[in-house]
Amino acid sequence: MSEEIKNPDSGKGIADEGEFDLKKMEEETQEMLRLRYITKDNAVFERTEGGFVSLKIEGETYPRVQVYQSFPFTDPDAYISIREADEKAREIGMIKNLKKDVSRETRQILEEQLRLRYFTPKIEKIINIKDEYGFAYFDVLTDHGACRFTIQMGGGSVVHLTDTRLMITDLDGNRFEIVDVTRLSTQELRKLDLFL
Amino acid sequence: MGNKKELPLGVYHFLEGYQVKKDDIIAYAETDMNLEGNFARGYIVLTRKKLIIMVAEPDRNEVYQFKGYGSLQELKQHKERAWAAQFHSLEELQRLELFRTVSGGVLYSTSKKDSPGSVPDVQLAAMTNLRLGEALRITRLFELLKEKGQVTEEDLKEEEQEEYCPKCGSMYPDKDRKICPRCMDRRSVFIRSLSYFAPFKYKIALMMVCYIITAGLNLVWPYFSGTILYDKILAKDEHFLKLLGIPGMEFVTALGLIVITMLLTKITMQAIGILQGVMTATIVPVVVKEMKTQVFRSMGKLSISFYNKRQTGSLMTRVLSDAEHVTGFFIDGLPYLFINLLTLIATAVVMFLMNWGLALLTLFFVPVIFTISFRLIPRLWQFYGRRHRAERAMNSRLNDNLTGARVVKAFGQQESEIKRFDKNNSRVRSAEMSLVNFDNKFYALYVTFERIANVVIWGLGSYLILTGTNMEFGVLMTFVGYAQQLNGPLDFISWLFRWFTDSMNSAQRIFEIIDAVPELTEKPNPIPLENIRGEIELKNVTFGYEPNKPILKNINLKIEAGKMLGIVGRSGAGKSTLVNLISRLYDPQEGEIYLDGINIKDLAFRDLRKNVAMVSQETYIFMGTVAENIAYANAQASREDIIHAAVLASAHDFICRMPDGYDTVIGSSGRELSGGERQRISIARAILANPKILILDEATASVDTETEKAIQASINFLIKDRTTISIAHRLSTLRDADRLVVIDNGEVTEEGTHAELLEKKGTYYKLKELQTKALALKGIE
Repeated sequence: MSEEIKNPDSGKGIADEGEFDLKKMEEETQEMLRLRYITKDNAVFERTEGGFVSLKIEGETYPRVQVYQSFPFTDPDAYISIREADEKAREIGMIKNLKKDVSRETRQILEEQLRLRYFTPKIEKIINIKDEYGFAYFDVLTDHGACRFTIQMGGGSVVHLTDTRLMITDLDGNRFEIVDVTRLSTQELRKLDLFL
Repeated sequence: MGNKKELPLGVYHFLEGYQVKKDDIIAYAETDMNLEGNFARGYIVLTRKKLIIMVAEPDRNEVYQFKGYGSLQELKQHKERAWAAQFHSLEELQRLELFRTVSGGVLYSTSKKDSPGSVPDVQLAAMTNLRLGEALRITRLFELLKEKGQVTEEDLKEEEQEEYCPKCGSMYPDKDRKICPRCMDRRSVFIRSLSYFAPFKYKIALMMVCYIITAGLNLVWPYFSGTILYDKILAKDEHFLKLLGIPGMEFVTALGLIVITMLLTKITMQAIGILQGVMTATIVPVVVKEMKTQVFRSMGKLSISFYNKRQTGSLMTRVLSDAEHVTGFFIDGLPYLFINLLTLIATAVVMFLMNWGLALLTLFFVPVIFTISFRLIPRLWQFYGRRHRAERAMNSRLNDNLTGARVVKAFGQQESEIKRFDKNNSRVRSAEMSLVNFDNKFYALYVTFERIANVVIWGLGSYLILTGTNMEFGVLMTFVGYAQQLNGPLDFISWLFRWFTDSMNSAQRIFEIIDAVPELTEKPNPIPLENIRGEIELKNVTFGYEPNKPILKNINLKIEAGKMLGIVGRSGAGKSTLVNLISRLYDPQEGEIYLDGINIKDLAFRDLRKNVAMVSQETYIFMGTVAENIAYANAQASREDIIHAAVLASAHDFICRMPDGYDTVIGSSGRELSGGERQRISIARAILANPKILILDEATASVDTETEKAIQASINFLIKDRTTISIAHRLSTLRDADRLVVIDNGEVTEEGTHAELLEKKGTYYKLKELQTKALALKGIE
């Protein structure tokens, strides 16, 4: 299967016929426009030994797939996109609702992958924020431990996902999240004042 | 990273336990995550025989430092840890790859490129973006090791090290701009701002003289209106007349004299005030203009990536309002600080001389409120910063909205846009309000102290008069006069603290831009470029807009002088990126680009850009006439040249049909042009620039087939004796190309002439068939 999908361009079939297979092309286009939903009824996910996930769906086998969220901030469980492992990452299908449409075990396997892919420490306590000459230095406590990072000021490094939820991106593109600013203490809010 | 920095001793000890000696180690990378998705320290160690993955247990007490936070001192500290390690022999591993997560990567082993699926993919180590570069280096070295069996010193050559501030040892947040935010203090911002006034030193000296005179006159005023008027003249003090040298004069005449003197004093003060106003008016606009120009000039020098990182509205705020904030303080604030301080000190001295006890009581609060004010500066700084950010956000929103006005209207979203704007607007309001609130507290503090002081003087003074201990009524009146005179300077100083903070806040932002070092710099002694042939060569070019995310991978291309190269590929494949590199809007991360055998980094920007012209899918029409727009790159062009270029670009007809012809004003406030018209004007501009190298990036994308044919004809004319690189989706545009390359996922996948590529039956063939057949099927072509 991987032969066929991975190298559609050098497909031997086309060369043999000596003519361009427009029908196949159109089928591929149709395929692209189709949205396939993955449920526990048509697909089997398995954890691979290498720490990835494999997928069997409607007769197709994928030794490794990638798991993406469509709405990582607003609805992390909805519309999980399952994609091929190569760089083009063609979509294989979507899981409409991770909570309902797949078994608990599958959900666990997929969540492991999501956890690694969308790794974002959540800031629980702000120890200090210093603003100096175009950069801000953060010293915070997150759910993954104490972190110190630097952001560039004035470049959209702090994004308001909602009025109370912030996503902070450091100089390298590492992300830190404040889930709810109203849960911070007055002193912490004062330190964060610059970005509210 | 790499070898220069030594692994911690504990790691060596640990590895020795597994018969891995220090000398075996070729390279290593640090990692900061485990595969479960937690922070954890670790190493990837590459030796001649093995790849070793070490991970420590996640430690909740550990502090994870990211870019910009590390310091030299901290780098040297290493804790003893309990390591878990995996050893993979190099034979058993086929290939190492990194798969990218949203803010990091996972290193995994996989099968060779030519035998996909032969071994399963296995996750090895995880890291955040901080460590991604190091891990990528390991995968490269691993590949070399597999390929050649060894790595040379050259391969191991250190990549750019992080730079540290020599003064405090902390990491520069921006490698290209070696300014340590910690060591750069506000005083130097102040002194730098001051330097803008240096050209006006004589005028400023004159202003100072005026201030001193004013201060002096201010000082004697209460003396006239107090002591002299009450105690000398109204009390009919003969002694005083003797002192004046006019004994025996009528006291009424003396009163007249004193009134005239007072009048003259006031008039002089007013005159000096006017003089100062004139002076201010001549200095301020010049300085403001100078600052704005400098900021704008610095912005112009900066690379494209600088603009990509920032919002347009934010940059506008900097150029427009920050310069005024800065000068405001220096002209309206600083000089008066001088005069007010002078008045304050002189008044205090006089008060002490008159009655030191009373003076002490009145003045003791002054140092107290000054200390409080100083302490409040950081808070004020925050308020001003916040207001700036709110304004900036509003400007950006406005900018965004106005640019997209057509879409907003088309979707009928005015209401929601108003709401969104209102939200930003309210932020500005609340920032402004909290600033004013804070201001008021500040002011209230000063006024309270002043009033208390006044009451103390009245009360105590009256008491002293009643008890008859060395206090006269006139002296008290003078004293009160002086105390009231203090109010002015003090109120002023309370303002000044705010002004100062506001001004320094803005100045810092201005200098931030002025100091920004462009990522692309010109060589100090560029090689002059004359009569170029136009041969372009790309050698092993790798580039990505973000580090570690390559868009172009190891591209090798050679375009002979005078030939046309067509580039084909799907959207996002890296075609436009490639031509951006050739015109040096960006520099490749790896590899070099040569023009006639000279590295383009050795050329002056002027020379390079003069010889390379680009017609791209983004057309930029600036405000001005059609003729000016066409002559943008060559302002000296004659009318004939302009018309000639327009004819060649098939633009002449539509230009002539417009009522104002070539004098039609186009651009933001002028006549609307269609997409195709804009594009034709850009083509005419490129024709007039007469470059040796022409880049057409989807130059005919937004014109109809008929016009395209016409433009095609003009392009055919245009490409004669020029090296042309043409990017197009429509393959018909490329039919005259001498050679074609197909780019897919940042790599050149096919290369050859039209016939050769069709022969190959690859992507190009597929695209070609798709375009001709699919169109034919529908009876279009």
